[in-house]
Amino acid sequence: MTAPKGGYFGKILEVDLSKGEIKTRPLSDELARKCIGGAGMGDHFLTTEYKAHHDPYAEDSFIFIGVGPLNGTYCPGTRASFVNQSVYTGLISHAEVGGHFGNEIKWAGWDGIYIKGKAKKPVWLSIKDDKAEIKDASKMWGKDTETTDEMILKEMKDPYARTAVIGPAGENGVPFAAVIVERFRAAARTSTGALMGNKKLKGIGVRGTKAVPTVEPAKFLQAAKEAEQLAVDREAWQGIKRWGTGGLLEQKQWVTSSLITKNFQTTWYPDIEHIGGEQAARTFWKRHVACNNCPVHCLKLGVIREGKHKGLIAEGPEYETGGLLGSNLMMKDFAGMMAMIELCDGLGIDSISTGGVLAFTTECVDKGVLTAADLDGIKVKWGYADGYLELIRKMAYKEGKAGKLLAKGVRKMSQEIGKGSEAWAVQVRGKEIAAHDPRGDKNRAYSYAMGQCGGDHHEGDSPEIQARWAMVNSLCMCSFVGGYPWAKETPPVFVNMLNPLCGWDMTSEEYWATARRIITMERSFNVREGISRKDDRLHKRFITEPLPEGPKKGTLFTAEDEKKMQEAYYKYYGWDDNGIPTEATLKSLELEYLIEDVQKAKKNL
Amino acid sequence: MKEEIKIPEIINKETSRRGFLKGAAMTAGGAIALATIGGVKPKEVKAAEAPKVLQRYLFAERQNCTGCRGCEYACNIEHGGVVRPSTARIHVYKHKGVVDIPVICWHCDDRPCIAICPTNPKSLTVDPKGNGIILNEKTCIGEKCMKCQEACPAQYVRANPDTGQPLMCDMCGGDPECVKACVRQSGQPQGPCLVANTLGFGVNQAYRNVKPVKAGEDMLELLFYPGKGGRPATGKSGKGR
Repeated sequence: MTAPKGGYFGKILEVDLSKGEIKTRPLSDELARKCIGGAGMGDHFLTTEYKAHHDPYAEDSFIFIGVGPLNGTYCPGTRASFVNQSVYTGLISHAEVGGHFGNEIKWAGWDGIYIKGKAKKPVWLSIKDDKAEIKDASKMWGKDTETTDEMILKEMKDPYARTAVIGPAGENGVPFAAVIVERFRAAARTSTGALMGNKKLKGIGVRGTKAVPTVEPAKFLQAAKEAEQLAVDREAWQGIKRWGTGGLLEQKQWVTSSLITKNFQTTWYPDIEHIGGEQAARTFWKRHVACNNCPVHCLKLGVIREGKHKGLIAEGPEYETGGLLGSNLMMKDFAGMMAMIELCDGLGIDSISTGGVLAFTTECVDKGVLTAADLDGIKVKWGYADGYLELIRKMAYKEGKAGKLLAKGVRKMSQEIGKGSEAWAVQVRGKEIAAHDPRGDKNRAYSYAMGQCGGDHHEGDSPEIQARWAMVNSLCMCSFVGGYPWAKETPPVFVNMLNPLCGWDMTSEEYWATARRIITMERSFNVREGISRKDDRLHKRFITEPLPEGPKKGTLFTAEDEKKMQEAYYKYYGWDDNGIPTEATLKSLELEYLIEDVQKAKKNL
Repeated sequence: MKEEIKIPEIINKETSRRGFLKGAAMTAGGAIALATIGGVKPKEVKAAEAPKVLQRYLFAERQNCTGCRGCEYACNIEHGGVVRPSTARIHVYKHKGVVDIPVICWHCDDRPCIAICPTNPKSLTVDPKGNGIILNEKTCIGEKCMKCQEACPAQYVRANPDTGQPLMCDMCGGDPECVKACVRQSGQPQGPCLVANTLGFGVNQAYRNVKPVKAGEDMLELLFYPGKGGRPATGKSGKGR
């Protein structure tokens, strides 16, 4: 075991909340090179430390907040990765979040934060360089994310600290609760918020003052500057600079025809002009916000200027929030939609899953399966923001009959309701899907159905892109800055940066093998939990109900498409017909420790 | 319909009273500074120093800042070659998570930091080429003193975490790297935030008096004109958003 020469500090902060202990866990260069950091490193800990059928709420469950070797260096657009076993689906999951939070962790001298155990009373974690402390958070408990963020910054007495906090939804154990970073950025889709709430960990504040050790600074800097220039020059980002991902709302409606509408019933929604990027740019946005050193600045902040939500400062609409809480709910009321988005951020709840749940609920009401009595008398109809706002609030606090029901998520709700509601309970492996309709955008099915996190729009649209994304997530890079322009170059731009930074001699082949290793690691974890080919599929709505209108009228994601997708995918990664990694594949990727578990799971199929 | 008639009035009231008065005060202050100092200063400089010195000033168009901190990174690269924002000679302060305020050295014409520097000879001097402030690390007594930090009206001066000495903006000899980085990162739809120019005019002496927190509050007002109490909150009940 050798200590890393550069790119890493060689230590991970290990926090045991049960004992109130803080330790340092050394990180070797070998492990760093094998799984890079961020999602990959978290996957390594999850597969090595958990046994099959692990209880996500167990005492030894952990949250790993990972950063990569490029965090804290000149490289633009680095992020942080929250990795844990989802309490929602029981599967592996990782959420990447932008901002400066990840870099502060790195500058504080850590390659990641590993948090296990459960505190007896609410706590928050303060990290200032080497000094980490578990502090009392009883005053913050129950507060929304905005207030908590302010309280932590005040207690840290450092205006340059950055935070990651949970809101009431996480405290109350809503399984799709999110972690909100720096007030507006969400690490969601992983139920990390619920796990943090279960651990009684209200938030984390970080501030660092160190520099990342670099083996060959001049050479690294040159590589990083070349990479930056590639991102600056990329024409496609001019649109993202201007409209963020909000502008995609119009694009997906008029061009791709994959804008989800009315709980995935159609992709035709001309009313998007009332809630899309153009409307936002004209009446709402005030500022553009960037992550570290990033030329894309895709986050938009705005303020509602009239009506009953006047004065509301909110972030978005992004494509996913605008799709799930906008077109999927047939919203025409822009201010109402923004209020929903901001309420989700404030309460610390995943806006994608929330949108899925609300749309499912509305269709249930439409079809007469749910009545007003089941929903505490709240009026629920397409496009009615006030009803939805009240439902979101109840969901986050698990209040009343409606709150308790909706906080279960679409799959469990439909199981409870019955009456054929599975037909419109759109989810993949128990998680609501994001805002791209796979009938209009067939490649997106790869991301939803084949991606290991399940139902996630950000896993990559082909086997090759998924490998790209696996590396991007492990390097904790933004896909906008790094993913698209850098990863497809040969050798990937990342290799040019990593070698002088870490003192490695990584080749293109090793880079892609690492990517396959990370995906196979994630797959093996899921296989142990009982996932196989039968789960690698979309919801049947996309397979049985053709698009009723729009330019792609009549399109289906057919069973044949599904078969083709699965086979291409398994072949690329060297898995068998059932989607189980073969012994030879595991051996070639140095994952021998997983062979026994995977074989056992295969027998139980 | 009723609502539609009522609301513009409210907007007008709040914005005109707060935003307009504040804006007026700022421009008035700027104009006064411009008239007095702008008229007097160049003569003094010309008399004291070699003729035709290009006086450059750093200026931050605060509302254009995206908070990417590219300026900090570029500054670090220029001064040491390794990214380490805690030692950057420019910093970006995030106010209430909503606005980003670049905290810069305005290169004031009266230079209170140099005026107060107690060492003999002075540890802080002006770079005649680019109007930057140069620190003499040998004579500076660092954390024992830090009078320059107290004297800086912009609360710009920070101590180097290693040496305890103040971090001063030397304008990179007249062509600041932070400005280049800012220009590179900006573009659609707004222009860069940082500018290095000959525009001194004494306006900087009005700008510098606005402390980062105050600048944050102003920017919040200016851009978001929030209602009473700042921002809407989920509150304990979760209502009111």
